[in-house]
Amino acid sequence: MKVGFIGLGVMGRPMALHLHRAGHDLHVWARRSASVAGLPATICATPSELGRCCEVVFTVITSSADVEAVALGADGLSEGMAPGSVLVDCSTIAPDVARHIAAQLGEKGIAMLDAPVSGGAQGAIDATLAIMVGGEADVVDRLRPLLACLGQRIVHIGPNGAGQVAKACNQMIMVAAIQAAAEAMRLAAAAGVDCAKVKEALAGGSAASRVLDVMGERMVRRDFAAGIEARLHHKDFGLVRAAARQCGMPVPLAAVVDQQLNVLMAQGWGADDTASLLRVLELL
Amino acid sequence: MKIGFIGLGIMGRPMALNLIKGGHQVTVWARRAESMQPLLAAGARAAVSPADAAAGNELVISMVADAPDVAEVMRGVASGAEPGLVAVDMSTIAPAAARRIGEELAAAGVDFVDAPVSGGEVGAIAGTLSIMAGGSAAAFARAHPAFACMGKNIVHVGASGAGQVAKAANQIVTGMGVLAVAEAFAFANKNGVDAGKVREALLGGFAYSRILENHGQRMLDRNFKPGFKSWMHEKDLNIVMQTAHELGLCLPGSAATAQMFNAMVGSGLGEEDSIAVLKLLEKLSGQA
Repeated sequence: MKVGFIGLGVMGRPMALHLHRAGHDLHVWARRSASVAGLPATICATPSELGRCCEVVFTVITSSADVEAVALGADGLSEGMAPGSVLVDCSTIAPDVARHIAAQLGEKGIAMLDAPVSGGAQGAIDATLAIMVGGEADVVDRLRPLLACLGQRIVHIGPNGAGQVAKACNQMIMVAAIQAAAEAMRLAAAAGVDCAKVKEALAGGSAASRVLDVMGERMVRRDFAAGIEARLHHKDFGLVRAAARQCGMPVPLAAVVDQQLNVLMAQGWGADDTASLLRVLELL
Repeated sequence: MKIGFIGLGIMGRPMALNLIKGGHQVTVWARRAESMQPLLAAGARAAVSPADAAAGNELVISMVADAPDVAEVMRGVASGAEPGLVAVDMSTIAPAAARRIGEELAAAGVDFVDAPVSGGEVGAIAGTLSIMAGGSAAAFARAHPAFACMGKNIVHVGASGAGQVAKAANQIVTGMGVLAVAEAFAFANKNGVDAGKVREALLGGFAYSRILENHGQRMLDRNFKPGFKSWMHEKDLNIVMQTAHELGLCLPGSAATAQMFNAMVGSGLGEEDSIAVLKLLEKLSGQA
């Protein structure tokens, strides 16, 4: 199948390579030509040109505005994609923007799935991502074999936007868990206890979690080089706050964590790992 | 002075009336034509569009709901403006949005002042609003005669956007202030102590504030009529949190307060005064 891919960063690049390895004919476009260097793919001049020659197009882009511009803007995908083709947006963006893009594409007969992922760079490399999908059931069924090249747990959550709601929920739990791990590590250290031992003990009990394993380990080793850059979690918490406010639903814990992320950004640690929430606590 | 006035809601109507009382020639425009009637009866001229409200005037003032509304009416204003027009927005919007609108108007040759107000409907009617302005000193000076008809405490805070920064800071203090008084009263009540007596005692000390005095009394009277609707306070706190997010600024108290107001809107208290946060605390603590 001719498959397009836009957004070849830490997540997108290994995902695109999996599609190529599965035998698909890969087409790519990137704002900076350096991002597509060395890829076994046809390089397109614009998103619309890429859309014209692909049956399915994947996007993994940072912000709501960027996804909207690539999909609907001048020289965007909607100018090129044929009726019956599908945009699969794996970015993490606002649910209402995902719904808006789906509706606009729908008017041209182009289908859209919001399919944000969780699992980080390692999950993208191992093709073990969790993929939470919003869109029409028949489109999800049709694309399931493609999605299976990228991840293991593929869940159709509901109509367009539902995937992004699930992703917002994922981020709330995950970053709050990172904050909890950071506070535990900080308390252990402040009390003069070896935090590596504490983490080791906790891993066998009720507090065990993937976050404690991965992020807790980084905290113990004081290795703050990114996995996923903290600025992206900070961005996602803006989405969480906006979504909660649209529903009139209080998120008191997320609000506190959001402020810790603001501190992290102010300290210039946005390009580091979110395990840096430990360093935020050490400022106080 | 010849002044155009756009937006004639709870705040805009009495503000425009005070301009007429102050001897200014006022042209009004509102999205709903019937909101213009009381002003026309008082001697204002009706405009057919924001552009028309700007045409031939030295000053045009907007008082509308949110940033997109301000941007829209100011685009109209720019298209109708004659050289030397000063445009003033007295709505509460994000500082970044105000700066953007100021830049767009500057490109059209219009000077812009962001001048949000504090003091509520009572202050608007009495002409005693606090006005916090951002923009050039020259534009502020030109708008000052109009400000003087609508407000008492009129401060030129700084450059474009500075008025909205001051207003956001005002909403931090009032939002947390209302919540602090409500928490103190809930605390007294749950301890079986008369909150009215607590208020009386606190008024003499360092906890004295106008919020403890006025909002506190309304809490004791259980008078939740707005005033200032809690959904609007929530909107303003969202501006605070959005701005903090963009700047990388830690505001833990505001964040917690914003969530309480978010919960108020979600639980149907949005149309009540922001002091209804007391009801939410009582519900959560099993006091209701």
